[in-house]
Amino acid sequence: MTSPAVAKVGSEVGPTFAGGRNSRKKHRTLTQQRQRIGFLAALPAFLVVVSLLFYPIGYAVWISFLKTDGVTSKFIGIKNYIDILAAPLVHQVFLTNLKFLVAIPVVIFLGLFTAVLLYQEIWGWRFFRIIFFLPSVLSTSVIGLMFRSAFTLNGPINSALITFGMEPINFFAKANLAIFVVVLALIWAGFGYSMMILLSGLMTIDTDLFAAAEVDGAGWWKRFRYIIIPSVKQQLAFVSIINTLYTFTSLFGFIFVMTAGGPLYSTTTLDYLVYQKAFSAFDMGEGSALAIMIFGVIALLTIAQSKYLKNDAGR
Amino acid sequence: MRKFSLRVNFLIFFALLSAAITTLYPLIYVVTTSARTLEDYNKNAYGIPSFFTLESYRILIDNYSLGTAARNTITVVGISLLTALIFASFAGFALAKYDFPGSKVMNWSFIAVMLLPSQILIIPIYLLLSKFGLIGHLPGLMFVYIGTNIPFGVFFLKSVFSAVPDTILDAARIDGAGFFRSFFKVAVPNAAAGIVTLAVLQFLGMWNELLYAYLILPDQGQRLLTPALASIGGRYTTNQPLVAAALCITAAPTLILLAMSSKYLVRGVSTGIGTS
Repeated sequence: MTSPAVAKVGSEVGPTFAGGRNSRKKHRTLTQQRQRIGFLAALPAFLVVVSLLFYPIGYAVWISFLKTDGVTSKFIGIKNYIDILAAPLVHQVFLTNLKFLVAIPVVIFLGLFTAVLLYQEIWGWRFFRIIFFLPSVLSTSVIGLMFRSAFTLNGPINSALITFGMEPINFFAKANLAIFVVVLALIWAGFGYSMMILLSGLMTIDTDLFAAAEVDGAGWWKRFRYIIIPSVKQQLAFVSIINTLYTFTSLFGFIFVMTAGGPLYSTTTLDYLVYQKAFSAFDMGEGSALAIMIFGVIALLTIAQSKYLKNDAGR
Repeated sequence: MRKFSLRVNFLIFFALLSAAITTLYPLIYVVTTSARTLEDYNKNAYGIPSFFTLESYRILIDNYSLGTAARNTITVVGISLLTALIFASFAGFALAKYDFPGSKVMNWSFIAVMLLPSQILIIPIYLLLSKFGLIGHLPGLMFVYIGTNIPFGVFFLKSVFSAVPDTILDAARIDGAGFFRSFFKVAVPNAAAGIVTLAVLQFLGMWNELLYAYLILPDQGQRLLTPALASIGGRYTTNQPLVAAALCITAAPTLILLAMSSKYLVRGVSTGIGTS
C-alpha cells in the first residue's frame, strides 16, 4: 500500500536515484497488469450473462411488440399490452393468483413459530430442523405430484375419508378445493425454508438481552414482542419478499402437474398463463407482453415491500 | 428465553414430532408404495405390503426410458454445474480481490439479473435456441442452466472470496504466484466450504428445474427426469406404485444430498440475506 508514496519520494529526490524512476514505472505496469488480469477473469461470466440473460430480455421486449407464432411475425406496437389489460381472462387469472397469497402468512407464522422453538433448543431440534427443511430440496414436480396422487379421486386421502364413512371428494373438480390443495402443498413445502432463514436471524441475538429481560421480569410474550421480533426484522422482510416473488413467478411446476390450470381456467396462475399463451396458443408476442407486465408488477411490489419494511425497521 | 422447563419441553417435543410425522409420512408412504404391486396396493392402500418388489422400477426403466432420463439429467446438470461454477468463481474472485475499471458495472449487472423470473426468459430463449437448432439437444438446456446460475454464483462467491485474508494472497504473490496459482493454491482451498455450499444449492436448483427442461427437450429420448415424471404422473393416475417409483427416482438424489451436506445447506440458505 505504501509503495506509491515511496516511489514518488524516490523520483522527487532527483536523477541520481535512477532506480526510483525505474521502480515507479515497474509498479505502474504491475497495477495495470493486475487490473487486466482481474478484468479478463471476470469477463467470461459477464459475457455469458450478457448473451444469455441481458440479450434475451431485450429480445423479449421486442417480441412483445410483435404478433408472432415464432415463425412469422408482424409489428403491432403496444396492441399486445392493450389486449392483455382488456382481457377478462387475465383479470380472472390475476385474482386467482392473489388467492395463492393466502399461503404466505401461514408459511411465515409457522416458520417463525417453529424457528423460535428450535432456537430454544427443544429436544431433538437439530433433527426437526432437517426434517422441516426436507421438502425444500424436492422439485415442485415431485411435491405437486405427491399432492396430486394423495388427493386424487381414488387416492389415499379419499380412501381415508371412505373408511371414516364419508363421501369421497373430487378435489380437482372444484376451483376452490383445487386451490386449497395447491396452497396446502405450498405451505407443506415452503415453511421449512422460511424457518431456516428466521432461525439464522435468531442465532445472532445476544443472549445477554434475555438475561436482562428476565431480571426486568419480562414474560415470554414480552420477550417475543420486544426482543425476538425486532431482531429478525431483516429476515422477516426477506422471507415475505421472496415468498411474494415466488407466488407470482414460480407456481408453474405445481399447476402444471396438479391441475394443468383447470377446471377451466380456475387454477391458472399468471406464470402458467404465459406458458399457455406462448406454447399452447403459440402467441409468443402476447406471452412476452404478459411476462414483462408480471415482471414490472413484482419489481414494483418488491421495491415497495422493502421500502415499507425498511422504514418500519428504522422506527 | 433459551431453555424450557421439562414439562413444557415434553409437550412441545410431541407437538413438533407430530408435525415432523406429517412431513415424513408422505415420503415414507411414497417409498413403500413404490415397492408394492398394483393388486396389493388396490386391495388396501394403507395396509402393510405383503411383499416387496422392484417391478415398478423395472417397468419405468424398460418401458418409459427413465434410465435414459436419469442419464440425461446427470449429463446436463453435471456439465452445467461445473461450467457455471468455474465461470462464477473466476468472476467472484476477480471482483472480490482485483480492483479493475468496470468492476462496478459488472457487479451491478450480475445482481440485477439474479432474481429474474424464468417466464420472462423462456420465450426469447426458446426462439433463440430454435434459431440455432438447439431445441431437442442437451447443450441447448446446458446453455440456459449455465446462464441462469452464474449471477447468483458470482454474487455468492464474491462474498466468499472477500473473506479470504488479503495477507495470505499477498504472501503468495510475493512468492511469485500468478493469477491461476493464487486462485487454485490459495483462494480455492480457503473458500472450499463456500464453494461446496454453492455447488449444493445450484445442483438442487438444476436437478429440480421443470419449465426449461420440459420445453427445450421435448422428445422422449432426450427427456430429463422432472418432465418425464410429470408426464408419467399425468397419464398413469390409476397406477400409484408406478408413479411412486418415478417420484422416488427423481427425489432420491436430492434427499441423499441433503443427508450428506445438511451442514452446508443450513449455512448456504441463510447467506445473502444480509444484503436484502
